[in-house]
Amino acid sequence: MQEPNDILQVRNVYKDFSGLKVLTGVDFKVKENEKHAVIGPNGAGKTTLFNIISGKYKPSSGSIIFKGEDISGRSPHVLTRMKVSRSFQITNVFQELNVLENVRAGVRCDHGLRYHFLKTPGSIAEVNKKTEEILTLVGLAEVKQTLARELSYGQQRALEIAVTLSTEPELILLDEPTAGMTREETGEAIKMIDKVTASKTLIIIEHDMDVVFSLADTVSVLHNGSILISGSPEQIRNDQRVKDAYLGEEGD
Amino acid sequence: MGEIPVFFLHGLVYAGLLFLVSSGLTLVFGMMNVLNLAHAAFYMLGAYFSYSVLNITGHFYLCLIICPLFLFILGMLVERFLLRRVHVYGHVQELLITFGVAYIITESVKWIWGNYPLGVNLSGFLTGSVNLFGLFYPVYRLFMFFCAVFISLIMAMVLYKTKIGIIVRASVDDTEMVNALGVNVPVVFTAVFGFGAALSGFAGVIAGPLLTTYPGMAAEILVDAFVVIVIGGMGSLGGAIVASLMIGELQSFGALLFPKLSLALMYMLMAAVLIIRPSGLFGEEQ
Amino acid sequence: MKQRSHASLLAWGTLILVAGVLLPLAVRQYQLAILTEIIIFALFAVSYNLLLGYAGLLSFGHAMFFGTGAYTVAIVINHIPSLSFFGAVILSLSVTTITGLVVGSFLLRHKGTPFALLTLAFNALFYAIATKWHSITGGDDGLSIFRPDINIGFAQLSTSSIPAFYYITFIIIGLVMLFSWYFTRTAMGQTVLLMRENEERMKFLGYNTNVSRLILFVFTGFLAGLAGIFYALFFQFTSITAISIDMSTIVLLMVIIGGTGSFVGPIIGACVYIYLQDFLSDITDRWPFIMGLIFIFMILYVPKGLSGLIYSLIERLRGRRHLSRKVEIAE
Repeated sequence: MQEPNDILQVRNVYKDFSGLKVLTGVDFKVKENEKHAVIGPNGAGKTTLFNIISGKYKPSSGSIIFKGEDISGRSPHVLTRMKVSRSFQITNVFQELNVLENVRAGVRCDHGLRYHFLKTPGSIAEVNKKTEEILTLVGLAEVKQTLARELSYGQQRALEIAVTLSTEPELILLDEPTAGMTREETGEAIKMIDKVTASKTLIIIEHDMDVVFSLADTVSVLHNGSILISGSPEQIRNDQRVKDAYLGEEGD
Repeated sequence: MGEIPVFFLHGLVYAGLLFLVSSGLTLVFGMMNVLNLAHAAFYMLGAYFSYSVLNITGHFYLCLIICPLFLFILGMLVERFLLRRVHVYGHVQELLITFGVAYIITESVKWIWGNYPLGVNLSGFLTGSVNLFGLFYPVYRLFMFFCAVFISLIMAMVLYKTKIGIIVRASVDDTEMVNALGVNVPVVFTAVFGFGAALSGFAGVIAGPLLTTYPGMAAEILVDAFVVIVIGGMGSLGGAIVASLMIGELQSFGALLFPKLSLALMYMLMAAVLIIRPSGLFGEEQ
Repeated sequence: MKQRSHASLLAWGTLILVAGVLLPLAVRQYQLAILTEIIIFALFAVSYNLLLGYAGLLSFGHAMFFGTGAYTVAIVINHIPSLSFFGAVILSLSVTTITGLVVGSFLLRHKGTPFALLTLAFNALFYAIATKWHSITGGDDGLSIFRPDINIGFAQLSTSSIPAFYYITFIIIGLVMLFSWYFTRTAMGQTVLLMRENEERMKFLGYNTNVSRLILFVFTGFLAGLAGIFYALFFQFTSITAISIDMSTIVLLMVIIGGTGSFVGPIIGACVYIYLQDFLSDITDRWPFIMGLIFIFMILYVPKGLSGLIYSLIERLRGRRHLSRKVEIAE
């Protein structure tokens, strides 16, 4: 069942919050270097699924296998060090710090500069170099001295991704990176995401079908707490059950 | 032979007192998310007011009504004119302002009544002893216990049977929700804060004749009440009852069995609870 | 701009150094004693502000470390004959650090109100131990000590005179304070600041925030312990005041008066508090009451403290120059 190139397996994951069943047996696999989109109507449990994979919540039952190791219920910081990293749907950065410091926080942690009493955050050349690289990659190099809270909305979303990338993850989870963007901004964002996740594994939650179909190799549809279907974008587009699930929501 | 029942009753009496103090503390915390550090200072004021009212009027029963009423008003003033002003700055500032109030009350007490213990002298029926199944037990302690139970019952009735009680319990669960329903939450906050102060003051009034009335009495019960709400779980009334009983009995039997360790026992219990359940026995898990 | 701030920093440093060295020649012994006390309390306040200002953790129990330092140094000096000055200091610091580790391990999962409450309870426990354990701590009577001389190989330095002890305090605490300032800029110091900003994201960046809190707690306990050690050596006496909640209150008052928003705030606060106390206690016995009023006034009307006032004044004078590195309590 376990194929050697599966980087992540989600096996029969259940989650309920004091009786409220949010996930009812989620199963899917992600191959190494795959771009995997998770779609589904509102309230299907997409963000809860991310919260479980990234360690924010423990699954009520079931397991998450990352690179052949059961990681279910491990703390976020442990998972980050194992090279899993996630972004947040609502920008969750250090608002009172500038862009450079935001990104450097993750980079220095990745380089082991966490609790040092003598070295300053900027004292390791490699950390600074990596920070600059990420800033250039996401297109924030020019505003690196600006406070996060003073950025435009599009820039904030870019910073959210930059911070997610700062720990040099192998598995990247992006939670609706283009939410709230204009059509134009979305186009830019997709190009950027495509670029920064090259040769990495990506799982992305997305509402915008254009984004999904232009970015993903595989799409999983989450509906009522479990995976309805996984397949290529083409398969998903033509599947009757998917159409019903979405139409059902619009009919509400 | 008669020691164990006596100490058990002593424990119950102290548990009643602790519950009167900690219930207000935990109710205010549950609702407003503010730990009122001045809560025990209200308790102390209750005792001191009662000392003065008793000296002037000579009627202890009068103290039981006048003093809580006074603290009710004082509590509402503190909430309305101090606490609410710093609400926008966050929890740290709220804690600090209640701390400042406690500090000023303590210093005022030292100023007005002096920095030494005062004795509250009762007379009549309350000073005697009563025969409980062959056991002579002071009437006053029993009186304290029944007062505590009586007040607790009234509180339970108000909380569970009246509309205001439902609102209070609902805003312990979810303040924004109640706000959205169109209830004037700030007014409820002020009233509950005042009510907590009155409860605490009432506890002070009945504690006065038994325990010494002195400026350190606030700090003394404050720590016990904190331990109660840490063990019971912050914001939980049921937890406060259970933990009050635990601490009351622990202190009483601790004093009997391990006089040198009685204080340490309480902290050990707290530490044990913190290790096993950091949010307290009845607290919500994070 | 960076060059300029370095230059001004150097200028300030030199000024403080020269003033500190020359002052004993200019002022009377009484003033010098007050100055020594201020330096000791300034370190205590700085350590407290690393918790309150930088990490956003309100503690009502900082005196447990101050007191542990003060008691340990008195106990080791009295019980171990011929213990050297630095031997006593280092031994006491080790005890304080271990104390911080033990207490901190109970507290590391807590912040906000539960943290405040638990520190208060722990302080009460420490106070109870100090009063009850009469054979070791002297109970209400306290402990008297002699200051050991400093032995530097070829010579003995007497520490008994006021100027001599002033210089020792000025040098050692000055160096430690300098290091504390540097600490706020190090990886660990910045980790603390980032955690206050957004603890959740820190976890998702790979930081173990509980461990960070523990490290900070132990470090601030260490600094407070050093202040306590010097407090005991200065008065040549340790009493239950040193470990009481009143002492925790004093450091809180200092920091609130000075302001939590900058490194120098608590130093200003310690200065003002001690002079104010010295002045007020001469004219009235009710000086703690006045301190309480000042405290409430500061909370209500000057939430950034005196240092915040000074900063905004400077900012206005310079025409709003950028002062972005602030650490005020923002929630």
